[in-house]
Order: sequence, then C-alpha cells, then structure tokens
Amino acid sequence: MKPEPKELRVEEMILNMGPQHPSTHGVLRLVVTLYGEEVADVVPHIGYLHTGFEKVMENRTYHQNITFTPRMDYLHSFAHDLAYALSVEKLLGAEVPERARVIRVILNELSRIASHLIFVATGLLDLGAMTPYFYAFRERETILDLFEWVTGQRFHHNYIRIGGLKEDLPEEFVPELEKFLATFDHRVDDYQNLFVGSPIFEGRARGVGVVPPEVAIAHGLTGGSLRASGVNYDVRKAYPYCGYETYDFEVPLGKNGDTWDRMVIRLEEMRQSARIVRQALERLEPGPIRDPNPQFSFPDKKLLDRSMEALIYHFKLATEGFEVPPGEAYVPTESARGELGYYIVADGGSLPYRVKVRTPSFFNLQSLPHAARGHFFQDLVAILASFDPVLGDVDR
Amino acid sequence: MTRREKARAYAKERGFVVYEAHDLLHIELPLADFREAMAAFKEMGFNYLADVIGIDYLEYPEEKPERFAVVYELVSLPGYKDGDGSRIYPRVWVPEKNPRLPSVTDLWPSANFPEREVFDLFGLVFEGHPDLRKILTPDDYEGHPLRKDHPLGETPTLFKDGRYINPEQFRAGLKGKDKGLTGWRGGRRKGERR
Repeated sequence: MKPEPKELRVEEMILNMGPQHPSTHGVLRLVVTLYGEEVADVVPHIGYLHTGFEKVMENRTYHQNITFTPRMDYLHSFAHDLAYALSVEKLLGAEVPERARVIRVILNELSRIASHLIFVATGLLDLGAMTPYFYAFRERETILDLFEWVTGQRFHHNYIRIGGLKEDLPEEFVPELEKFLATFDHRVDDYQNLFVGSPIFEGRARGVGVVPPEVAIAHGLTGGSLRASGVNYDVRKAYPYCGYETYDFEVPLGKNGDTWDRMVIRLEEMRQSARIVRQALERLEPGPIRDPNPQFSFPDKKLLDRSMEALIYHFKLATEGFEVPPGEAYVPTESARGELGYYIVADGGSLPYRVKVRTPSFFNLQSLPHAARGHFFQDLVAILASFDPVLGDVDR
Repeated sequence: MTRREKARAYAKERGFVVYEAHDLLHIELPLADFREAMAAFKEMGFNYLADVIGIDYLEYPEEKPERFAVVYELVSLPGYKDGDGSRIYPRVWVPEKNPRLPSVTDLWPSANFPEREVFDLFGLVFEGHPDLRKILTPDDYEGHPLRKDHPLGETPTLFKDGRYINPEQFRAGLKGKDKGLTGWRGGRRKGERR
C-alpha cells in the first residue's frame, strides 16, 4: 500500500549571508528570510567598511582631501576625484582649461570601462562562468597600465588638482591608448559572445529580479541599473559637466529592468565610453592644464627650482591650503554606478566645513529587497551582482 | 514654467526664505510647515529624492537660526514621464534641545537609508520612520561622529626621541585655534583670531 503524499511542509528560516561572502563584493551582510528556497525578504546590514571619510575630510585642506576621495569607490575612482574637484571649483569659480577638461573626460571614461569590466567579470563569476573573468581582467590590466603611465598609480590616481590636473600626459600615452582602442570594440563583442545568448545565462537572468521604473525611482536607484528599467537618466546628458554635452554618444536603455538587462546594458555602455574617448582624443590640443590663478592653482613643478615666487606659492598651497569663499555647492556627476556628487559647505577657511558624499551604491542597495523578493536564493546572488555595489562606496 | 520656478513661487507665496547660490535653489522651511511643504513639492512632480544631508552649524562663523540643518535634494527626474530635471534644496532647521523632525519616507521611500544615516551620524530623530536604526557605525559605538563636538579619535603618538603628539592639540593646531606642537599655522577658519 502506497503512503498518501503529504503536502511539503515549509517553514520560515532566517539565513545570514556575509559579511565575508565571496558573492557580496566586499563586506556586506544580508539577513535573508527564506521560505524553502524562496526569498521572502532581504535586509541589508551595512557599515562594515565605514571609515568616516566625511569626518576626516572636515579636518584636512581642500587639496589634501583628494587623497581620500578615490578610496571610496576603488573601481571607478576617477569619478570621485572629478566630482569632488567640480564642487570645489564651483565654489571657487575656477575655470578649467579646455585641455584639462578633455583629459578628464578621457581618463574618466577609461576608468568607467575598467569598472564595467570588473562588473561583467565578477558578476558572471558569481553565476559560475570563469572564462570571462580572465578575459576582462586582461583588458582592465591594459587600462590600469595606461593609468599608471599617466598618474603613477593604478587605483588611487590622485591626478586631479583643484582647477586642473597634476601634470600633462606623457608623450607615449596617446599612441598606446589608440592601440588599446583599436582592438577594444572587438573585445567587447567577444565578451558578449561569451555569455549573451547562452541558455544558462538566459535562464539565470531573464525575468529575474525585475525592478519596475516607478519602484526604481521611489527607492532612489540611479545609473545603469535605473537605465535597465527604461528610464533615460544619465547625468552626462541631463546635467552635463566637463563638456559632455559636446560629445556624441548614446545612452543605452533596457526594457524589462531584470538582471539580464542590467548585465547587458553595461556592455553597450563600454562601447559608448570608448566612443567618447575616441572623440576626445581628436580634440586633444596643446594648452595649459591648470587654471592660471595662483591663489589656488599649484605652480608648474619645473618652475620650482628657478622661480622664487613659484616656490613660495607652492609652499603656501601645500601647507596652508587656499581659502574658499563661504557657500554650498553640489555638482552631480555620473559614476559607473550612478549619480555621484559632493555637497560641500565652505565657511571661508581652508578646510571644508562639511563634505557630504552622495554615493550611488548606498542608494542603489535600497532597491535590492524589492528585486529579490519571490526569487530563489541562488538568484539573489545574481541580482546583487547586477546592481554593481562597491562597498567602499556604500559605507564611505 | 519649470517645476523649479513653481517651487520658488510656492515658497514665496508661503513666505519661506528662498535664495539661490552656486546654481542651487535653497528653500528654508520652518519645522511646523515642513511636512506640508514637502508634500506640496511631491505633488508638484519632484518624484525623486536624491539625498538627505545633515549639517551641524556649531562652529560655523556666521550665526544660524538653529544648530542643525537637514537639507533635502529633490529632483524631477528627467527621462521619466514629464520630468524636467529641476532640482531644489529645501532645508529645515532642527533645534539642539529637541532634535526631532518628521520623516519623509512615506513620500519618498528612498529617504529610508539616508535618514538612518543622519540619525546615526548626527543624532537627529526622524519621527514616523519605519526602521530607525543605526546604519554606519557599530551598534556599541556611542555618540554621533559628525557632530562638531565629537572628537576625531586619533591615537596619541610617541616618537623615539621622547616627543609626544597629542592628537587633540595637534588638530587644534591645524584648525588654527592653537599653535599646536608643530607650530604650523594650518588651515584657517574665517572669523578666528590669533
């Protein structure tokens, strides 16, 4: 006699994921409520990487703070340098010369490509695809080498100065960058062929973790994850800075707002970034790279051993800093993760009175529970990866 | 008429302080009218709350109405429906003695994390917040680090030759309040005499 089939008994289970978990991209702790395999709720617990940058920045001069800014988002660090400098320049009324703006655009987009490469690589690694990881890191290594050439650093560039740049590009940089760009689009096609259309990826990503546009906006999503939901909001188009309005590029949009869209949209963004870099290279004309105002702009390094005045200015800027007129400024920028901006309150002294960083990852994480509810636990890993959080950017 | 101008007209009509600086439109809301005004801005089409910024004006050289201010960044998101990209920065002054203000999480759910952040780092209590817990600092950490009277908390340094740096004194030197151990004049706060 066969036993009667009983109904499967499912009870609530609370599972702790992280803070040290390979798929959380840093130190993020998720408390997941499960019914069987199904995610009922996710509560992100953050702050494990909180370093108090905002407090420390209140106690350093405006130029010293450029040391801290890239450490928040260590993948797209150039965006943080740029956003900080733009806000301070707004308070000062500094005018950045054209060549410096073009170089800023080139390096910002290169940094964005490097960040997206990591996103594609680690996001797919979380889904079990090893191969794209190694290919993407090859390209990223080339970009980091280029950065090392220009700035002397691979990650934390410290290349931007208030009013311009630290120094000019080395001569060999442009030919090497052209060599990289010549093969880059082809390489992006390769990555696309590696996973887009694969039945496993389709099954894991299509229709998983859908964020409708109204939910995304209500919970503060920005960047590629918001554009995957079909909202055409790119700060480079909406509030142009650094002359982005003069470049010809498209903003790729998704349709469904699922994990598939969020992953694939970044491939197209890489192509568009390369397109911007190509246009910027054509505009690269010789010229000054800093605002000539000696009140806040460092003198040319070559002048220091010849000109007494330059040495005095350099010493005063490096020790006392410069005074910024009282006021509050905020300039939104587009980082690889979304809207990034520094709200700076100046009191007239040479230390900022208050620095508030509007980091995109911090806000993007609020949409995670809405995307993950009702999906299987293993999909949570894919959904989290598709939001592209950087925990340094979350916790600051 | 953009939403920014609409918001300005609304604030003028209600008699709020409005000023523009560095392309930002600031609107100062009294605590009593705060909820009502924020709901009106939401009604106007500011569908996106980009940030909640706490500021402690304790050491600010200029006199301010209250010690704390909370600045909200409201955006009519371009690219979604009829969003026109207007941005406004309403702010509300919060008294030191009773640091409480109503939450806006019911209007913009994205205020959830940033309000918790302001609660954690400044100690301002948002009434009506669904889940007001600490967010960035550890659970056993006492105090609100972004308040101006919270010490920076560096470790004192003892050098080989017996020289000893007390961080507090060192910082005071940097801020120009005290000569400090190094004698370095440091960043100068406006209005400070030496």
